[in-house]
Parts: sequence; structure tokens; C-alpha cells
Amino acid sequence: MADLPPATLPDDSGDHQPKKQKFSHINKASNRQQQPADSDQQLENMSSSKREVYTLFTRYRDTLDAHYDQRERVIKCSRDITALSKKIVFSLLRITQESSPESVFKDAESKHKQVLDLFRKISVELQGSDAQKYNRQATPGLQEYIEAIGLWAFLQDNVLISKEQVLERLSVAGPDGVVAPLVSVSDEDYILGISDLPGEVNRYCINSIGKGDHEAVRRCLMFLRQMKEGISLLMCSGTVRDLDKKVSVLDSSLEKTERAYYSMSVRESEMKLCGANSTVVPMAIDA
Amino acid sequence: MDVQVFIDLQDRLDLESTLREDVKDAIKELNKTCRLASAKLAKAHSVPKSQTREIIDAVAPSFQAIRKCISTLVGLVEPVAFYKYHDMWSNAVQNACALVVFAVYLDHARLATPEDIQEFLGCRVNTENNDIAEFVITLEEYLHALISLFSELSRLAVNSVIVNDIQRPQEISTFASDLYSGFQLLNLKNDSLRRRFDSIKYDIKKIEEVQYDLRVRGLIV
Repeated sequence: MADLPPATLPDDSGDHQPKKQKFSHINKASNRQQQPADSDQQLENMSSSKREVYTLFTRYRDTLDAHYDQRERVIKCSRDITALSKKIVFSLLRITQESSPESVFKDAESKHKQVLDLFRKISVELQGSDAQKYNRQATPGLQEYIEAIGLWAFLQDNVLISKEQVLERLSVAGPDGVVAPLVSVSDEDYILGISDLPGEVNRYCINSIGKGDHEAVRRCLMFLRQMKEGISLLMCSGTVRDLDKKVSVLDSSLEKTERAYYSMSVRESEMKLCGANSTVVPMAIDA
Repeated sequence: MDVQVFIDLQDRLDLESTLREDVKDAIKELNKTCRLASAKLAKAHSVPKSQTREIIDAVAPSFQAIRKCISTLVGLVEPVAFYKYHDMWSNAVQNACALVVFAVYLDHARLATPEDIQEFLGCRVNTENNDIAEFVITLEEYLHALISLFSELSRLAVNSVIVNDIQRPQEISTFASDLYSGFQLLNLKNDSLRRRFDSIKYDIKKIEEVQYDLRVRGLIV
């Protein structure tokens, strides 16, 4: 840092003197009157073909730099969205420990406001064709976000969030008063987002067993079975990248939930034999 | 939960995979045409400079065919979805561009500009980092094509000596090092462009070796 200021120190002009002389010497040799700046000087000494390459590639460099910088900004913002969405998920999962679900949703709502700020930031980079261009960098954050609000919708209304609902959540009023989604959500983003849900639903299910909330366990199992059915349909088309990895997570979540429900049922039956009061509702598969 | 959501999604995915199949077919055709043109153009390695004109003329119809293949591809992909499927044809388009770049060098001994590419392939090269509303050839694809030229040049340097043209390697060397200095201006990330850029020096070395051999024997001054 201490080396930077000397550019403005008075004795600096002395340092430049020899350089200037060197320049004027070259200029004399090439019969030029004007004293060009450093890069221009460099250009003067080049052959015409080399000069052309230099000009072209300087332009290309600027284009590539702009592209790489933009990609970097998308990656960073996407990562921030992922982190905050994870926080929303964890707040929502605390629902089994809180006395009232409202406080949990209120907490999630305040975090959701922050996520929207991040989406506002990323939307600048994802206008027009850039949405697809940087989709691969933006999609991890978006998926995590869909997972978070998907869990929210499941806990609050026991439904699978639809793509329209996701877009609605992402909508804010623009400067012209028109309410529009901040970013576009492709089918792939949506599918990959909701296929992350089973892991979280399973976590909620296990927590609920601990709390003895049998109705919640039943809802989880129903939800996972329907997810499994739906995602299997999509697998037939088989064009979504990375979906198969998520399906194996879904399968293991489903199995864990089924085993949990099973051992809960067994224990309840034992209790009943002992004359205790049962709260388990027998599972109706197609309910 | 409604399974209808998934059925709708599945329908859309099915439509998409039909499109992907069509695009794949178009790319297959493009690759085939490019290979044919490449075979014709490769003959330039075995003849003296004076005869390259005939080879350029002979390969012209192939460029017409390549242009047609690309326009088929352009017709399939909506501009909005350009970047979604872009990876599918990137390699094929790079190859097509590389052929143009080599042909232009053989013909005029100069660097093919984005305008040349557009003239041959009927598709604009996007040299800006901006919003696009049409099918374009990306700057990366163009640069990849230019890197491909180096290996052709190193081969050409060797082969021109075989056909007794000992001046040409000098010409090639100047051209190659000028172009290489251009690439050195770029701030490349650790991607495929960077890896291929790193290989340029080996081609430069081969060209220099040819010059060394000629000079050490007093064949050129």
C-alpha cells in the first residue's frame, strides 16, 4: 500500500524524464511529430497485420471479461440465495419445537423478504437471453429457493407448490407498477426444485414422530408417495439433467418415512394391547 | 396433491425431447458436411501455393452445403431458447468456423474476421456480451476456430517444404506469432478455451523448428 502514493510525489517527474526521451527518440526514427501514449506507441511499432490482431483481440478481451464477470456475479448471488433459502428451511423445520406455527411462518416471512432482495439483484443479470445463458449458474439458488417455499406450502396448506405459485412468490411491483416475477422459472428449475422437497419432508416427519404428532407423519407419507408417483412420470420423458440423482434421495426418504410409520404403528399396537389409548389412524392408501 | 401437474410437465418435456431429436439430426448432417469439406480442403497441404486456388474453388459448394445445414438448425431453434440448447451444436459450429478460417487463410493469407464467417456461414458472430434476439455464433466458438488454425498452420509449414516452397514457412511463422500475440491479450478462465490456448505453443514450436532447419542449412536467410 505504501508504494502506491508516489505517483503524485514531485520527484516522480524526474523518473519519467528518461522514458520521455526514449519515446521522442523512437518518434524521430519513425519520422513522427506527435508523442503518442504508451499503448498507441506500442501499436505504432507493429506491422499492420499485427496491429489489426491487437485491435480485434483487445475488443474480444473486453467482451470475454464482461461475460466472465457477469457469470461470476450470477454465481455469487445464486450462492447467497442458496444460503438464505437453507436458513428458511431450517426455520420452518423448527415448527415441531415451537408452540405456535404462526411464529415460525413469521420468521420465515422476514427471511423471505431478504431473499427477494437477492433476487432483485440477480434479476439484473438475467434479462432477456441472459436468463438461459446463465441458467446453469443461477439454477442452484433458484432450486433451493423453490425447495424452501415448497416446504412452506406443504407445512402450511399440505399441498405441492405449483410453478405458478412459485412465480407469484417471486413477483414484485416494478417501477411502472406492474407486478411481474423477478426471474423466469423454467420447467427444469421447478422440477429440480420440488424434487429436493422429500429430504426436508422426511426431516419434518421424523421430528413429528418425536413429538407424537401422528397426523403429521401420515401427511408426510401421503405427500412423499404422491411425489414419487409424479416424479416417476417425469422420469419417463428423461430429459431433465440431474433428476435421477434426486430421485434416489426421494426413494430413500420415502423408505425412511415408511419405516418410521411402521415402527410407530407397531408400538401403537403394543400400547393398545397394554390397554393404552391409540391415536394412530390406520393408513388408507388412496385416501 | 394433483398428479395433473406432473402430467402437464411431462407433456412439455416430451415436446422438448422431440425438438432435441430434430436438433440432433440437423447437427449430424452438419457434421457430415463439414467432414466432407474438411477432406477437400486438406488437399491444400499436398500442393504448392500456386494451386491452392483450385482447391478453394472446389470446396466452395461444400461451404454452400454447410450454410444450408446451419440454416436448418437456425430454423429449428427459437432465439429465446438459443442458450438452452447451445451446448448441443457448439462443437459442430466450431468445426464449421474452423474450415472457414483455414479457407480464408489459404486464399488470402490473412485472418478470417467475424464478417468472413458471416459471409460463408450466413450467421452473425456475436462479438459483444449482450442480449441476443437471433441465432448467433458465439465469440468463444469463433476463438476456438482460430485456435484450430494453428495446428493446420504447423502442418502447412512442414508440407510447404515438401513441395519445395521454402519461403512459405517464414510467412506462416509471422502470421502465427501475430495471432498468438492476440490470444495472449485475453484473460482466459480455466475452461476449454484456456486448455486449447495452452496447446498453441506446441504448434508455434513446430513452425519454428521448420524455420530452424531451413536456416541452419543456409536455405533461407
